[in-house]
Amino acid sequence: MKKIYLDYASTAPVDRRVIKAMSSFLGENFGNTMSLHYFGQESKIALEQSRNTVSAFINAQPNEIIFTGSATESNNTVLKGIAFANKEKGNHIIISSIEHPCINESAKWLEKQGFKITQIGVDRYGMVNATDIRNAITDKTVLVSVMHVSNEIGTIQPIGEIGAICRERGIYFHTDASQSFGKIPIDVKKMKIDLLTASSHKVYGPKGAGLLFVREGIKMDPLLHGGGQENGKRSSTVNIPAIVGFAKAVEICKKEMRSENARLAKLQKKLIKNLLKVKNSGLNGHPGERIANNVNLWFAFTEGESLVMQLDMYGIACSTGSACSSMTLEPSHVLIATGLRPEQAHGSLRISMGRWTKEKEIDYLLKILPKIIKRIREISPFKEEAFV
Amino acid sequence: MKNVNKKVIVAMSGGVDSSVAAALLKKQGYFVIGIFMKFWKDPSADSGQSGENRCCSVESEKIARLSAKKIDIPFYVVNAEKEFKKAVVNYFLDEYKKGNTPNPCVLCNREIKFGLLMQTALKLGADFLATGHYVQIKDGKMFAGSDKEKDQSYFLWMLKPPHVLRLKFPVGALNKTKVRALAREFGLPAAESPESQEVCFISGKTNDFLKKYLKKLPGRIVDMRGRTIGEHEGLWFYTIGQRRGLSLDQKSAFKNSHGSTKPYFVAGKDFKKNLLVVSNDQSDLLKKEVALKNVNLLSGQKYPFRAKVKIRYRQKPADAVISRNKIVFSKPQKGVTPGQSAVFYINKEMIGGGIIR
Repeated sequence: MKKIYLDYASTAPVDRRVIKAMSSFLGENFGNTMSLHYFGQESKIALEQSRNTVSAFINAQPNEIIFTGSATESNNTVLKGIAFANKEKGNHIIISSIEHPCINESAKWLEKQGFKITQIGVDRYGMVNATDIRNAITDKTVLVSVMHVSNEIGTIQPIGEIGAICRERGIYFHTDASQSFGKIPIDVKKMKIDLLTASSHKVYGPKGAGLLFVREGIKMDPLLHGGGQENGKRSSTVNIPAIVGFAKAVEICKKEMRSENARLAKLQKKLIKNLLKVKNSGLNGHPGERIANNVNLWFAFTEGESLVMQLDMYGIACSTGSACSSMTLEPSHVLIATGLRPEQAHGSLRISMGRWTKEKEIDYLLKILPKIIKRIREISPFKEEAFV
Repeated sequence: MKNVNKKVIVAMSGGVDSSVAAALLKKQGYFVIGIFMKFWKDPSADSGQSGENRCCSVESEKIARLSAKKIDIPFYVVNAEKEFKKAVVNYFLDEYKKGNTPNPCVLCNREIKFGLLMQTALKLGADFLATGHYVQIKDGKMFAGSDKEKDQSYFLWMLKPPHVLRLKFPVGALNKTKVRALAREFGLPAAESPESQEVCFISGKTNDFLKKYLKKLPGRIVDMRGRTIGEHEGLWFYTIGQRRGLSLDQKSAFKNSHGSTKPYFVAGKDFKKNLLVVSNDQSDLLKKEVALKNVNLLSGQKYPFRAKVKIRYRQKPADAVISRNKIVFSKPQKGVTPGQSAVFYINKEMIGGGIIR
């Protein structure tokens, strides 16, 4: 059976051009960036070139980029590193109610260490209101962290607005841009971003590389102590193949982002328009302020879990919430935050497209999915009395 | 192949029986899908120790997944923690609180494996649901597994008749040795999986688990004549017929026994007065009439009818007459325990059962 991948928001295949760029660093160019000799210097040069590419992409300085192992690591570093390094300034952190678990769980852990956390709610489209952030700021606030684009529902947050408020109040502003980086333009100067997280494997680079932009002059403790790599902010032998791949992936995104976005927006429109024809359904997330590769809908009297399994049997890979939360039956905290009832949240499906998504694949999904929904509804517990 | 368009969901636990069940169905030409159900496990249990909830552990999921890969079938994990906690664990604790000794597997089979999973199976468009139970189905009737040692029909009496029509038990006609041999022949990673323990969500001793979730309520232990001969920790920690772990006052126990050294065992519980009644005369354990609740009949028998009845899992069935909510045995039976299942058989067909009051 032909397999159709529509779960790009969870991870993406590595672009062949990226593999090519990486290959010599898996072979002959294996040096440790910290070594003085030829091998080390070759790696060091590749590392700094990668840093140049990536920093330019978001209008940052190269010395403001730290390469990490993942977006989760970047987010952990920001929350814990900022909290501990700025203790004398304050102990209050503001996050939104739709953050990825790596932000939520880090915040919960900090709470146990005595820090104060405020969660800002969202409207029915999953949008944070910048005024709510302004109102939540106290003289003890050291950090505001709001994700740029929701990994589940694709809503694009008013990052520039929030950034301006934070800058005005002298509070650090962090955004987790894992789902927007490489897909829509980011300018850390214009948007007044102090710290930013991004990930390689979401933009057709290899897994095992992430980045953290830290604006010059910001006080942040490292999470990993050791040999002092990445300007002392992230000790570990530098993962050169992954970083070179990441940079190549960014280079490709820079060139293709605009046309790719327009192409995906068309497919997105087609998907949403046709799937909303299914009775008792609705769109999760914002209809307009939305990343082009994300479609998330709820279908009453179904369960996301069985939708995903059945689609898989037809060779179509989708997801219920984010990949990380689909192992639990808890309704998605993001969907609940938008005011969806738990049973609607349970029947939600995320379709996320990418570089190799073709229109005929979308057409195939549009043919299969309504059939599956119909079948599930026929066997919905409400109707299956004999089996209850 | 004749079954090629029929879809079967197999509940795979990572154990040898369900893995072989899946492999056999695949061989028979079915479109087979493996599903691993995640159950609730005691969160306070130290999972690093040997007492990990085996059938639901990460290790079991891994073995199930690798076995499905070997058999070459799709494999999914379904999280049933919440439902399992509600339907099985809470029931288990509630029954103990009432002083009964429940069979949690009976409830799990009805509500989870053949309830929730049946729903999932139907939603996936499946024609059948299969498990690795040692039970046989012939013409829509359920029979004991042919391996007498492993027969698990005792745990399935609570199923709903419409469910039975959709069930398959591929290892029911085999014996355990053969199943292990097949697993090795098929090269299944589950071939060497150990036997599952009785109550999957309890890691250590049942009483330790109960002590964590139920409060102590000390009271007196009395003999059949009402004389106090010891102290108990709470009636729910004891089961009918239990000998060990009774803290008896040695002197009075000795005096009362008039020189006899027969051990004492639990003969009854008085909830109103919080008394644990013990005896050292086996005949006090014998009962001819047993009251039942929640009776479920899978075949359409009319009361009263004769059948053989099992009142605990590892027991030979005994002759009895069954009328509505009551069993009368031909010969008195030992160890009738409230909360346990009484399961009815006619010529090896398992026709239903009830819970002992």
